[in-house]
Amino acid sequence: MLEFLQICIGGLVVGSTYAVIALGFSLVYRVTGAINLSQGGFAIIAAMIGYTLGVAWGWPLWVAIPSAVAVTVGIGMALGAFTFVPALDRLSNANVLMLTAGILTMIEGFTLVVWGSQPYAMPPFSGEAPLVFGPLRVPTQAFWVIGATGVCIAALWLLIAKTKLGTGLRACAENPGAASLMGIDVPRMTLLSFGLATLIAAIAGVTVAPTTSLQFDTGRLFTISGFVAAAIGGIASFPGAVIGGLFLGLVTQLATAYISSLFSTAISLLILLAVLIWRPSGFVQARVGKRQDTRDEAKATGHVARLPSNLAWPAAALAVAAALLIPFVVTDNGILSGLVIAGILFMTLMGLDVLMGYAGQVSLGQAGFMAIGGYTSGYLSINTETAPWLAILAGIFVSLACGLVLSVVTLRLRGLYLALATLAFGLLVDSCAVGFLDITGGPSGLVGIPAFSVAGIEFATPRAMYYVVLALDLVIFIGLTGALRSSFGRALKAIRSDQMAAAALGINTVRYKLAAFMISVTLASLAGSMYAFFFNFLSPEMVGTGRSLELVAMLIIGGESTLLGGLFGASLLTLLPTMFQPLAIYKTFASGALLVASFLYLPQGLYGAVVQIAIRLSRPKTNTEAKTAAKTSARVL
Amino acid sequence: MSAQPEMSVAVNAVLSVNNLSKSFGGLRATNDVTFDVAPHQVTAMIGPNGAGKTTVFNLITNLLSKDRGQVLFLGRDLAGLSAVKIADMGLIRTFQSARVFPGMTAIENVMVGCHRLALHSGASQTLWLSSARSEERRMLRRAEEMLELVGLAPFKDTHATELPMGAQKLLEVVRALMAQPKLLCLDEPAAGLNDTETQELASLLRAIRTLGIPVLIVEHNMSLVMNVADQVVVIDSGAIIAKGTPAEIQGNKQVIEAYLGRENHAAS
Repeated sequence: MLEFLQICIGGLVVGSTYAVIALGFSLVYRVTGAINLSQGGFAIIAAMIGYTLGVAWGWPLWVAIPSAVAVTVGIGMALGAFTFVPALDRLSNANVLMLTAGILTMIEGFTLVVWGSQPYAMPPFSGEAPLVFGPLRVPTQAFWVIGATGVCIAALWLLIAKTKLGTGLRACAENPGAASLMGIDVPRMTLLSFGLATLIAAIAGVTVAPTTSLQFDTGRLFTISGFVAAAIGGIASFPGAVIGGLFLGLVTQLATAYISSLFSTAISLLILLAVLIWRPSGFVQARVGKRQDTRDEAKATGHVARLPSNLAWPAAALAVAAALLIPFVVTDNGILSGLVIAGILFMTLMGLDVLMGYAGQVSLGQAGFMAIGGYTSGYLSINTETAPWLAILAGIFVSLACGLVLSVVTLRLRGLYLALATLAFGLLVDSCAVGFLDITGGPSGLVGIPAFSVAGIEFATPRAMYYVVLALDLVIFIGLTGALRSSFGRALKAIRSDQMAAAALGINTVRYKLAAFMISVTLASLAGSMYAFFFNFLSPEMVGTGRSLELVAMLIIGGESTLLGGLFGASLLTLLPTMFQPLAIYKTFASGALLVASFLYLPQGLYGAVVQIAIRLSRPKTNTEAKTAAKTSARVL
Repeated sequence: MSAQPEMSVAVNAVLSVNNLSKSFGGLRATNDVTFDVAPHQVTAMIGPNGAGKTTVFNLITNLLSKDRGQVLFLGRDLAGLSAVKIADMGLIRTFQSARVFPGMTAIENVMVGCHRLALHSGASQTLWLSSARSEERRMLRRAEEMLELVGLAPFKDTHATELPMGAQKLLEVVRALMAQPKLLCLDEPAAGLNDTETQELASLLRAIRTLGIPVLIVEHNMSLVMNVADQVVVIDSGAIIAKGTPAEIQGNKQVIEAYLGRENHAAS
């Protein structure tokens, strides 16, 4: 009983933190209709700055902690003003969500660059000695955490319910168009909500810091827990966020104590998936919150640049020839390995593009299927000596089975709930990869996976693997091009832009969405297996949620719904750190920053930019009149 | 799959709507509406604003669930069928606000129309089967012909949402036409169009009638209706107040009082 109470207190402390971060989600969602995944990032930045000021520089804590919060809010407001606010006008809510995932990655990368990857410990605000209530021992920091949570909740409630500013914020939530007609500065309100969310995240970060160990990627954990809490409680409701946070904290602590710490995340994620099936809008239904439908559809347009066919064929021939010759020119095994990795990721990205770029379905858990494929084929080829191609097929089969189960949930969901469900799925696979020690080797990974081979011929060198991957990529690319440029691709695009109109023309939306999903699952699984065979090793973080987010970044940077864009994104993010080793530490930061920048300034991605340049360059050549005209006009100028 | 003899009796009308009723709260939006759409004819449903025309339309295509009544399409009851099933049977509708697919070009939009007729699946397209390619080429040719028909051929590679409203509406109609409908249902196709655009729409509708495709059209624009319709159904406050040819309707006292009369007063 005593132990149980002790655990519950621990759960309340953790839960309070989740509750505050969930509150931030709720606040931004209610004002803007978008999800801000960068929450947890600000929490960790505040904690890290607090550590530097308070411990490394030796400032007194009562100066260091508020300064850390203030600096974080400053950073948050600046980031919000230059990224989040302009993005809201231009992007669909699903894309805003991915943009904030980019901000989170950026913050994570920034933390990695500044503070490195080692863990930090923050001293408690009021000494190490716990308060003793009879047999119960409560660390004093618990009061700080719970107290800060209470203050945040009360202050936020007062602000929203009792002040004129709060009325303005609520008006933006209900109807931004009408609000701006009534003289409310909607962008300012949006920024304000973002800043407030940053503020409460920062408070959560600094107060919880002494109870946990801080690392550059702890922020992602905060974000995910806060998001899950908000979703369980009801994303559009403040009480829901608090209830969801406390509930999640209690459940995870009890599960850790009585079942296994390895599966505590898995349990909370299963609860989330259950909530998404049973009651997608969470425990507490809010009266507001029809937002995402009103803003979403209109902005889901994308004008995709396409090479004219007179350019496309020579370009394709040239590219294939160059790809075939690369291993003869590039002899450096490191770079060649980078190319192989990029090629493998490109398989996943083509599938992800079918799912996201064409069918418009967000997936933040794509690496989960890489994991299922990779671990299945790795395990089979180590323990049963199955031929690699059979092992790959087995991996695809298992992935498709998991995908079918997941699709029971996802086919009913749209927008942010879909993003949430796929994220939860990816995390679930993560925790299984860590937890199922006997199959996956746990956190230290699965070792001794043989090299890829066909009929006794081994492809052990990067060069040999390069050609295998190149061949696979070409086959997949040509096949998918055939389907996507025909009625199949048009049906997917039609569904992406207007489901009802698509259905009215006889397009079976469920079947097509499922098909797109299954294609993406198959390719992710295949890529996961190839990955395992190439490295002879597979560990959870190689195919974890970080990878899922990176895949999204690669796709957006390269260019959505272009099929080829993924290759650009994958090559850039894989090769740059390989070629310039000192830059490797900036990789996470760069992938986040590039994702954000592409969303804002390069809506068609790198591929789109390249195509536009190619079209512009080729125009004078194809038309001699235009050429001379251009020349004369150039001379005149 | 040939029509059963007892069915062909019922198939005199392409669409028969029987005693359709729907209430929203206490408001009777649709009250005992009964009418037929005959083959090879343009049937127009008219009525003042808020008379319940679009509601009838949405009840026919199961976008709304009906309280009472029956809708038979080619002799088959549509009760409980999904939008996809209904479209599959050949009942193709358009929407009041032009719903072209953004992010797709004009020609792509039109080609989506013949989706339900495509014999080849994604699998055979993935394999680049020559039969799938030639089907694709056939679709492209037909779509180009369709754009030619409405004078949009020069804009075939323009993104649909960049076209003016009138062109988008025409695009939506030809997209529906690409689906080779057995009944084409148009929901206020002239709404938001200027006079020249309405003229183009009228000539398109006449062209559709010469193709023998039955049309059910909900419309506001009187001159357009009187111009192209064979049969007119007049609805007021959710109930049918008159049926007949345009000439009969124009002479119908009740209609003039309930609808045209009011408008004439307003105009004068």
